[in-house]
Amino acid sequence: MGFSNIEILQLPDISKVVFKRIHKDYLKVVLFSVLTLFSILFLAVFLLERNVEEIGDFPYINYLYLIFIVLFIVVIMAFVIGFSRRKYALREKDVTYKSGVLIRKITTVPFSRIQHVEISEAPISRIFKLASLNVFTAGDSSNDLVIKGIKKEEALKIKEFINQQIHG
Amino acid sequence: MVNDSLFSEFSKQASKGILVIYAKLLFKAFKATWILLIIFIQRFSKFSEESLVYIYVAIGVFLAFFLVRAYLTYKNFLFKIEGGQFVLKEGVLKKKNTSISFDRIQNINFKQNLIQQLINVYEVSIETAGSKDTEISIKALTFEKAQALKKALTFIEKKTAPLEVAEEQHKPLLQIGFIELFKVSLTENHLQNLLVFLALVFGALQQLNDVFKGIGKDDVLGNYTDVNPTDVFNSILIFVVLILILFIVGVLSSFVRILLFHFNLTLVIKDKSFEITQGLLTKKSIVLNKGKVQSITISTNPIKKKLGISFVTFKQAVSGKVKKQQHKLIRIIGCKIEQINTIKDLLYVTSAIDAETRYVPNDYYVQRMYFRSAFGILILNGIILFLINDVTWLWGNLFVLPVTLLCVHLKYKKAFYQFNKELLLVGKGRVETHRTYLPFFKVQNIKLKQTFFQKRRKVVNLVLQTASGKITIPCVEENRATTLYNYILYKVESNKESWM
Repeated sequence: MGFSNIEILQLPDISKVVFKRIHKDYLKVVLFSVLTLFSILFLAVFLLERNVEEIGDFPYINYLYLIFIVLFIVVIMAFVIGFSRRKYALREKDVTYKSGVLIRKITTVPFSRIQHVEISEAPISRIFKLASLNVFTAGDSSNDLVIKGIKKEEALKIKEFINQQIHG
Repeated sequence: MVNDSLFSEFSKQASKGILVIYAKLLFKAFKATWILLIIFIQRFSKFSEESLVYIYVAIGVFLAFFLVRAYLTYKNFLFKIEGGQFVLKEGVLKKKNTSISFDRIQNINFKQNLIQQLINVYEVSIETAGSKDTEISIKALTFEKAQALKKALTFIEKKTAPLEVAEEQHKPLLQIGFIELFKVSLTENHLQNLLVFLALVFGALQQLNDVFKGIGKDDVLGNYTDVNPTDVFNSILIFVVLILILFIVGVLSSFVRILLFHFNLTLVIKDKSFEITQGLLTKKSIVLNKGKVQSITISTNPIKKKLGISFVTFKQAVSGKVKKQQHKLIRIIGCKIEQINTIKDLLYVTSAIDAETRYVPNDYYVQRMYFRSAFGILILNGIILFLINDVTWLWGNLFVLPVTLLCVHLKYKKAFYQFNKELLLVGKGRVETHRTYLPFFKVQNIKLKQTFFQKRRKVVNLVLQTASGKITIPCVEENRATTLYNYILYKVESNKESWM
């Protein structure tokens, strides 16, 4: 078909939007969680090796540790690189979030389709006064929009803004 | 006219409803204990007379207990209409109070299972797009009361519209008789039906097997392996016979499934809604509100195409996180072209969309599919070589390879998308052909997804999320995807109509 050219020119363009990064403190939260997870796993493998003879005699056990370390580095790298890709933007009528290293994603939810907005705070995030903003739409809500790691005041402001747009 | 006062006080279900509730309770109990019952019947002669008496008494007590429970459930199930809300009080020990405002009601369906058909009461279910808790089903109402309730619930909702449409006798757009049904069932996807049937059978067998473990009966499949494999002619014969039997079972299960679900299918078109009635054992009547249909899919397969029939699937908003999708997809089988056009017209799906420019996914789409299936086949071969260690299995490639290639080819050939200012048409399928029509303003959120490899080829997947699930257009060129993205957002944001 064609969109007539005029129509295209008038449309707001998503690729020209200025995106905002999420708060840099959130990287600390992410790294802390990854570190905790890996420490627990490492401890588990280590204890198993020391206490269970069959596993301790397993000839490739050193490779297992190597794989473990490589995996750890890869995951950390992925999160660090991925962190700078996590951006969001609010426009007059919608909210957009993009992220991803190997798979890049960008999602936009128009305000008029939002059912409700929630703010949640995880325990570690709370130390840094960070929160995440959850946007819910109706029906099959598997693909809703979540912006993690923004300042709580900011999240509250956005929530207020969206609520005003929905009901006002 | 509707008598509003009929529901202004709390009312109960039809008293015959006790029977329905009782039957439901018994069925539930039976489902939980059927294996015990089988054992009981098998060992019947081994029980002493004295213990038999105890067992009978126990069963009797249970039956009486359920009857009392059914009665109490019935007694405590009260509903009324108050101030634009449907109010329901239920629960014997755990009381529950639910109220739903009319504008949240998605649709009101009638249903009749075997017992309900026998005693002539209707089950009314009220569906909302909200959470699971607000799905309400009233087990037994007389036809008049069910109709009155439906009217009362829909009447107040439409109070804003002063024009009252005269209740006229609507002629059904589509009515499928037995012969037609039979014809349709012959053209179904027999393989899929066969698999469903086999899964059911194996599930039941598995359960039985767990119980009778150690009894030492050889199963039928065990006997087959006794055949001397060197006798090539014999094994080919058995193979052919087996395929034939499977084919017949497949056709039969298609027929049974179609008969059970779609018996006496009638589609009536009313002012603002479709009314669909179908089913043999459980007769269901569904009212589909036109505005609440999110998208429709028209599907056909080569044989159906020859006969000029397709089936239409309506998609409505799905409640919360409920996974009973099957129920929400409403399917009408055996539609002729004229009927499809009527349905499309009613849903403002203009036929002009079919004539728009046809866009196909980027070549990368088909390359990726070939690559993935090659990878899959390689892994399969690897497993055969290293784990099974039997070279004869590799002959399977002769079958797997062409089938996979054909599937990939068909899938690529059938993938396309078209659009005009209001509508999107997405085509997909392998053997079957599915054409999904989606008005842009029904979209709830929109997403672009791009893998590392897709980025190099400058293509993206465009994912449109609606209240009834997502629709993906794979491997769209970047600039076109962005244009569509902007345009769809514009369509949604400038739209003032209600979308669900």
